[in-house]
Amino acid sequence: MPSLIKALNSQVGRKFMTGITGIGLMLFLIGHLAGNLTIFGESQAFNVYTHTLESLGPLLYVIEAGLVFFFLYHAILGISIWRQKKKARPEGYDTYQTKGGPSHQSLASRSMIISGTVLLVFLVFHIMHFKYGLFSPDEGTVILESAGGVEARDLRALVIAEFQNPLIAFGYIAVMALAILHLAHGAWSAFTSLGMKHGETSKKVQLGAYIFAIVLMLGFIFIPLYIFLTGGEGSLIAY
Amino acid sequence: MSKEMTIHLKYWKQNGPNDTGHFEEYTLDNVNEHMSFLEMLDVLNEELMLEDKEPVEFDYDCREGICGSCNLVINGQAHGPKQRVAVCQLHMRNYNDGDHVTIEPPRAAAFPVIKDLVVDRSSFDRIIEAGGYVSVKTGSAVEANAIPIEKEKSDAAFDYATCIGCGACVAACPNASASLFTGAKIAHLNKLPQGEVERSNRVVAMVEQMEEEGFGDCSNFAECEAVCPVGISISAIAEMRKDYMKAVVSGE
Amino acid sequence: MKFDSKVPGGPLEEKWDKHLKDINLVSPNNKRKYEIIVVGTGLAGGAAAASFAELGYNVRSFCIQDSARRAHSIAAQGGINAAKNYPNDGDSIWRLFYDTIKGGDYRSRESNVYRLSQVSNEIIDQAVAQGVPFAREYGGNLANRSFGGAQVSRTFYARGQTGQQLLLGAYQAMMRQVHKGNIKYHPRHEMLDVVVIDGQARGIITRDLVSGELCRYEADAVVLATGGYGNVFYLSTNAKNSNVTAAWRAHKRGAAFANPCYVQVHPTCIPVSGDYQSKLTLMSESLRNDGRVWVPKEKEDDRHPNEIPEEERYYYLEERYPAFGNLVPRDVASRNAKMVCDDGLGVGETGLAVYLDFRDAIDRDGKDAISAKYGNLFDMYENITGENPYERPMRIYPAVHYTMGGLWVDYNLETTIPGLYAAGEANFSDHGANRLGASALMQGLSDGYFVLPYTIGDYLAKQEPGKRYGTDHDAFQEAENEAQAQIDKLLNIDGNRTIVDFHRTLGKIVWDKIGIARNEEGLKQAIEEIRELREEFWQNVKVPGEKNNYNKYLEFAGRVADFFELAELMAEDALNREESAGCHLREEYQTDEGEALRNDEEYSYVSAWEYKGLNGKLEETLHKENLEFEFVELKQRSYK
Ligand SMILES: Cc1cc2nc3c(=O)[nH]c(=O)nc-3n(C[C@H](O)[C@H](O)[C@H](O)COP(=O)(O)OP(=O)(O)OC[C@H]3O[C@@H](n4cnc5c(N)ncnc54)[C@H](O)[C@@H]3O)c2cc1C
Ligand code: HEM
Ligand code: SF4
Ligand code: FES
Repeated sequence: MPSLIKALNSQVGRKFMTGITGIGLMLFLIGHLAGNLTIFGESQAFNVYTHTLESLGPLLYVIEAGLVFFFLYHAILGISIWRQKKKARPEGYDTYQTKGGPSHQSLASRSMIISGTVLLVFLVFHIMHFKYGLFSPDEGTVILESAGGVEARDLRALVIAEFQNPLIAFGYIAVMALAILHLAHGAWSAFTSLGMKHGETSKKVQLGAYIFAIVLMLGFIFIPLYIFLTGGEGSLIAY
Repeated sequence: MSKEMTIHLKYWKQNGPNDTGHFEEYTLDNVNEHMSFLEMLDVLNEELMLEDKEPVEFDYDCREGICGSCNLVINGQAHGPKQRVAVCQLHMRNYNDGDHVTIEPPRAAAFPVIKDLVVDRSSFDRIIEAGGYVSVKTGSAVEANAIPIEKEKSDAAFDYATCIGCGACVAACPNASASLFTGAKIAHLNKLPQGEVERSNRVVAMVEQMEEEGFGDCSNFAECEAVCPVGISISAIAEMRKDYMKAVVSGE
Repeated sequence: MKFDSKVPGGPLEEKWDKHLKDINLVSPNNKRKYEIIVVGTGLAGGAAAASFAELGYNVRSFCIQDSARRAHSIAAQGGINAAKNYPNDGDSIWRLFYDTIKGGDYRSRESNVYRLSQVSNEIIDQAVAQGVPFAREYGGNLANRSFGGAQVSRTFYARGQTGQQLLLGAYQAMMRQVHKGNIKYHPRHEMLDVVVIDGQARGIITRDLVSGELCRYEADAVVLATGGYGNVFYLSTNAKNSNVTAAWRAHKRGAAFANPCYVQVHPTCIPVSGDYQSKLTLMSESLRNDGRVWVPKEKEDDRHPNEIPEEERYYYLEERYPAFGNLVPRDVASRNAKMVCDDGLGVGETGLAVYLDFRDAIDRDGKDAISAKYGNLFDMYENITGENPYERPMRIYPAVHYTMGGLWVDYNLETTIPGLYAAGEANFSDHGANRLGASALMQGLSDGYFVLPYTIGDYLAKQEPGKRYGTDHDAFQEAENEAQAQIDKLLNIDGNRTIVDFHRTLGKIVWDKIGIARNEEGLKQAIEEIRELREEFWQNVKVPGEKNNYNKYLEFAGRVADFFELAELMAEDALNREESAGCHLREEYQTDEGEALRNDEEYSYVSAWEYKGLNGKLEETLHKENLEFEFVELKQRSYK
């Protein structure tokens, strides 16, 4: 039997791990969205949420490291699969088209590497943007009553301010739209990589994947869109 | 009476593995709708030879869709436009007068071109060699009915066993992966009690060989299932993955 | 030439066991020192190569296709017989033996056929152990069906792909040995000659079909499992690469060729649609269980078949053979189809087809029931012809399917060249003048798995282990030169008729005059026409391309050249056999009712032809192996 490392590096193992990391990242996104939506909660809810995260201390580093690992592992696998494809077919077809029917070839499945790469670039920017507050004036601080009166970064104000910039708001929206594509194939594909058989269940999972991708990403899209359209003063945002 | 058509052909010519290759074009008149696609190519070659030109080489044998020799990519689709049909069973009535038809060999690093549309698929033999069998010597078999097998199980194994080894799955896969072919043999044997004993070694050895041959990874495009002339389901790939991970985890 | 069939004495049931006790064995240490060449990877060759290697011999395996798995055996549909008697319907080794002898119209060797029936059961065990997914019943046991008019259900099947599944079993067993290094595997290699040194087969010459290079291989014994020669007819149900080259070239080196005129024609094939047609497709015989065969009573009646009223239809099989009706044996059904078409009653664009009508069956059982039984066949028919058989009767016509003739072999499957063996469809054994459905697969696997592995040891044990003449030996040189000379000659003619054109023309002569029915005049004409056409072939054929590259047309040219010679021998053999037997119907020898009339007094023998030369005409000497029937009584077949 091959060692675990060798096995995970085989063609089956690689896909198995893209699936596992993909599912991990999707779970993370669900949590992330739930957190983000607190922006529409009671006035300091969002800051309490971000502050709580930040005050996890070493635990946060562990979680973050885990996330980064998942992300990078997933990205490396994705890129290596794509590179192997170039090696496996050095000379392409003059004409190529899908036969349809049971095929899962679609804009979504064929653009995984593009949507994935955009997500990777976006992520670096996103972390620098909101986590480290680069590219924007220093955010102020707030006193969080509900968290025992501690002083925290006013990330809520930052988010609301930044999303009034059309470039940033629509940039985010565009990336999220691409993420729909990534997940529309990904959320089905991951289960197939883990050994789900093709058949009725698989059809349902594919439908579920579309719905999941759209709902999740509309959730993410809703925030910048709402803030931009209402100038940050819509009734959903409590002050 | 049968319909006659004019077909504009564009086909790949490559004089050997080291030649760069190019397309050639030819217009065939009087293509009868009842001809099979390969018979149309026979007629093309007859005309070419009588004009002192080189015929185009392509692989075939049974012309009944069972030997798996034929494997052309036609207008970008392995085995042509119809599902569940090998190109030798594709008939010209699926085309219209004046159609343009591009014919290419399956393109994959693991299927180097021998000449024109003929490729070397010995990589498939080596995948089977790695473990696609039950180790039973001639004469050492037990009475055939000694081990009953549920009909459903046997039928399911059969569905995987019908693979004709044509390589269309590789040809059509955007990644040039051989997962459907490999998975089909693994699923066929691993499903049966006779194949059970060697299941772990089999799956590991065959997966390793498939990778060594230079095929791509499987991204679950399922295009292979769409072009497979016998409709092998990508469940074969799922079975292969499960068996592989089980083998690794159990460390057998 | 001496013809010793080497049949062991004693009671029929004990011959094979006794023989196994008497033959020489090769010790395990010595096996490694012997090398066996197996040409062909069909059921016979694949099974033999795998079994030899398992025993410890060094094996080299050759085939034309790019993989052993693609041998023509892959296309067999219906099933494989065995005397398991699982359905408990009275089958036995004796009955399978008897049916095979009778089916072969008493023109096969009793001892061989009995052995075939004996080992048939082991074949099924072996295949199941390899993972062949035969059809099963709900209880989990193997299912059987009756096939080709047999009165018992003894046919094992794997949907309509029995040959495929059995071949993959043999192929996989072979690949296992390739992996272990016991078999050296040479796909895309065509054998062009056997090398005979001091009267023994010592090797072969092949052409590497990719590089075009000629290669020499030396061995202690050579097995030819190269299939049948049905493609001499150009149109047949055989795979396009099936050919007689290996057997024919062995014949020219001294192996006798037996019963070349015995060719089986299958009654239910999809008819020819035009000149471009490259091969014919078989539709399973099982269709005759529910379909009714008919032609219009009026000549050139071109009404839509459904508009022809009942009383204007001629159900010729039902009328002529009330007891068996549409289920008469293959040869009878084929002959009658030809007869009605010759009378001008044939249907379709070419007039060479009869209807196989499911209207009544659909009315009786419903469309669903018929579709459940024959759905895939109906789909196949529709895919090929573009017509829907649920709504319009199928058109069918007989086509060449199997060749009972082949290299003469003794009980050990050894040809008249010591050390040269022939197995499967390539030899003449077991089927006499007509083969029963589902018996070819049985014979190929029996030869490969259970006969040759023993009998070849008997020969090898008498050879000095590890003895090598070297491939520089004159005999190798000479054989290679001859093969090269033929290739050069073919390429240099540069005439203006294509190979396909010649082959098609030859096929038409053979079909018309040495086909379903033969007569003296026609056969004599055929011989003249074949000679003339062969002459023209060597003056005027156009072979394209280079010799040192992949060149399919060059391969075909060589095969067609051999078919030209074989065709003449077939005519010669048919002319010699002044009787009708099984598939060989001489119009002069029929009963008043048009049934085949055997002449057991004078023709109860195997015709074994010895090649003497070719000088514009083929020169061959006939040797007769008399067939003794000790255990069965000769009877006239009757299906009335
Ligand atoms: C459509 C169809 C359906 C059939 N159905 C049935 C059935 O249901 N039941 C049944 O019992 N029988 C059936 N038969 C008959 C049966 O399939 C064949 O008789 C049998 O498979 C022959 O097997 P084989 O091993 O002798 O030869 P083949 O399978 O013909 O193999 C010949 C091998 O020899 C190789 N070869 C040939 N010449 C050369 C050369 N010069 N150099 C190198 N290699 C060479 C080929 O590459 C190939 O590997 C059917 C036949 C046909 C055509
Ligand atoms: C939030 C971020 C991400 C999520 C939720 C996610 C999710 C997924 C999922 C579920 C899959 C399917 C896995 C499988 O087929 O087994 C997948 C596949 C893929 N992902 Fe991601 N992904 C993310 C980020 C990325 C990034 C940053 C890249 C970088 C390149 C990337 C590249 C790919 C590629 C190329 C595939 C297809 C793999 C293949 O072809 O088999 N993904 N992703
Ligand atoms: S899986 Fe289907 S497409 Fe692939 S080799 Fe087998 S038959 Fe051909
Ligand atoms: S030629 Fe045999 S499958 Fe097409």
